[in-house]
Amino acid sequence: MTWHWAWRDLLRHRGRTALSLLGVTIATALLLDMVLLSGGIERSFERLLAGKGFELRVSPQGTLPFDTDATLDHVDALISALRAEPGVANVGPVLGASAFARRRETLVPLIVYGIDPDVQGIYQIESGTDLRRSDMAGVLVGAPSARRLALAVGDTVRLTGDLDPQIATGLRDRVVTVRGIADFVYDAADQPSIAVTLPLAQFLVGPRGADRASFLMIKLAGNARPDVTAARLRATMPGVTISSIADMVAQFRLRLSYFRQMSIILGTIALIVTVMLVGTLLAVAVNERIADIAALRAIGIGRQTIVRQVLAEGFLLTIGGGTAGVFLGVATARWLDAILTSFPGLPAAISFFVPDSRHLALAAAILLSAGVAAGIWPAWHAVTAPIAETLRSEAP
Amino acid sequence: MNHAAARLAAWIALAGPVATRPLAGQRPAIDSGALLPVAIERRFAETARLRVGDSISISAPGASTRRRGIVAAIYEPAPDPSTIMRRDFHVQFHLSDLAALLDQPDRVDRIGVVLRSGTNPAAAAAILNRTAFGYDLFPSSVIASRSSTTFIVVSRFHRAIAFISILASTIFLLCLMVLKVEERRRDVALLRFIGISRRTVFLALQLEATVIALAGSATGAVIAAVASTLVNVYYRRVFETTLIFSELTRGTVLFAMGLSVILGLGVGALSAWRLVRVAPVELWSRAV
Repeated sequence: MTWHWAWRDLLRHRGRTALSLLGVTIATALLLDMVLLSGGIERSFERLLAGKGFELRVSPQGTLPFDTDATLDHVDALISALRAEPGVANVGPVLGASAFARRRETLVPLIVYGIDPDVQGIYQIESGTDLRRSDMAGVLVGAPSARRLALAVGDTVRLTGDLDPQIATGLRDRVVTVRGIADFVYDAADQPSIAVTLPLAQFLVGPRGADRASFLMIKLAGNARPDVTAARLRATMPGVTISSIADMVAQFRLRLSYFRQMSIILGTIALIVTVMLVGTLLAVAVNERIADIAALRAIGIGRQTIVRQVLAEGFLLTIGGGTAGVFLGVATARWLDAILTSFPGLPAAISFFVPDSRHLALAAAILLSAGVAAGIWPAWHAVTAPIAETLRSEAP
Repeated sequence: MNHAAARLAAWIALAGPVATRPLAGQRPAIDSGALLPVAIERRFAETARLRVGDSISISAPGASTRRRGIVAAIYEPAPDPSTIMRRDFHVQFHLSDLAALLDQPDRVDRIGVVLRSGTNPAAAAAILNRTAFGYDLFPSSVIASRSSTTFIVVSRFHRAIAFISILASTIFLLCLMVLKVEERRRDVALLRFIGISRRTVFLALQLEATVIALAGSATGAVIAAVASTLVNVYYRRVFETTLIFSELTRGTVLFAMGLSVILGLGVGALSAWRLVRVAPVELWSRAV
């Protein structure tokens, strides 16, 4: 009875019901987008870091991986020491450097990753084969590098490193064969990257690269806890920075706190708009029917029934607008994500708007509560208006 | 070129009030050479409780020796929005000192070139780039354009959010106006019964909408001014900077108020038209 009554009342004023639904739809879309934005990039970043199964990173003291050009030295000894630690299953080094590929008479700048092919978490092979650990004449190229250099699997390319502008030559030169095309998971869109074995990358860097790496990736044994292992390693190796995925996400969150704060503010505004819109509509509807309500109360209809009917109207408006708002919100999230992911240097795999069932459920619960709460004052007004006086004043 | 030096490339171990932090389990030995004069930024000085004349020990990452340094100056860096979120501490050395400390003599991150008066920077860069080997030359305008890409993206995002907000506000305003005008059915019917013309009733309703739109937009402008002030106070304190985070210009206020009034007038006219086109008898019957 309550729902039927509420439904009929909404249908009686189709124009304003449609407008209110539209308003709730847009407010819900904005709220949804802000909920997705509030933790989306962190979830996306966390998935990206955890995707290859490495739980810890080791970087030069006071830095995060690839945050500066600082490098770790005595890497071989450091890797051996780390592998001997309990809970550590494997360690993979990564050296990031610049090098050039010769294409006719020009030098094409490239980002070079020096890795151990057996223990790496920065790429996946798309075609061809992976490098071998001892491979000093092979290279994996990313799709942007392959495009720029017109390379395919099996082609050869001359890599040049350690340039000396004074004598206008590269001091390190090596012809390598393309073993495969790789997708570099941390790369920005169109970043020209290649991967070679760590010794070859160190050779291309020159004396500054000897026995060095930019950071190490640690894979833990099945039962080892990342936080506990990280704390123990920090105590035994104070000269380097040990970061768990949670630590890096926390740093990332700190740097992007602007988006979280903005999403909270805009999400709150969207909620307020929803409450005001639904509340205003219900207040007007109750005012219009205050004489009917007084008459119903005069013939014995209980206050609870009246309250339920007003709240049901608010609930229906919120459900209707909210459902449409989800679809609109998903579409606008894609649009906003396309804008934000054009940040320079941002890994192409990162997304700012990532759905999370827990947050979405929370947003839905808040929205529905807000819609129902918006009906509280009109409902209270409906059941507290004096019956006799209302009937007398509202009589035609 | 190594741009680690542009940031805090040197690993700094603080002596005195802050505990010395050893590298990789081993404390680098102190080189007994001359004191390195360094200038440190105010925020770092406050965090590390350093004053001019204090001594510090400095080493590069992975170095086997430390150097003694002395705080020669404390400076306030120019506000830079591109580095504000990093919260790094900055320290300045003489170029030769830093090169020696990093064991990278004869290296720099970048070189600034001052052209003779009247020289076109783009043409000069193009000519020099033909002979450049292992480096690139950029006019300052190109560097400024590249480094502002982040803010262009943020600006585009703000515009998109503003578009959604304006859409939501328009619907909200339309709803309110429709509801408000429909509440006046009985009054409008009575006015029409006593002979007031549709035009006069329409203008009266429109005038009411205009007053509401003006009052609403003025209130909105005041709220925006207060919010903008609070945003600046909060973020300046959080980031310890003098940057302006929210700027409410006269143009922004005029645009927002103008848009609000135009929207108010538009939706007011639409709502009023819906009411005055209906015959007064029908309006009366709907109202009672």
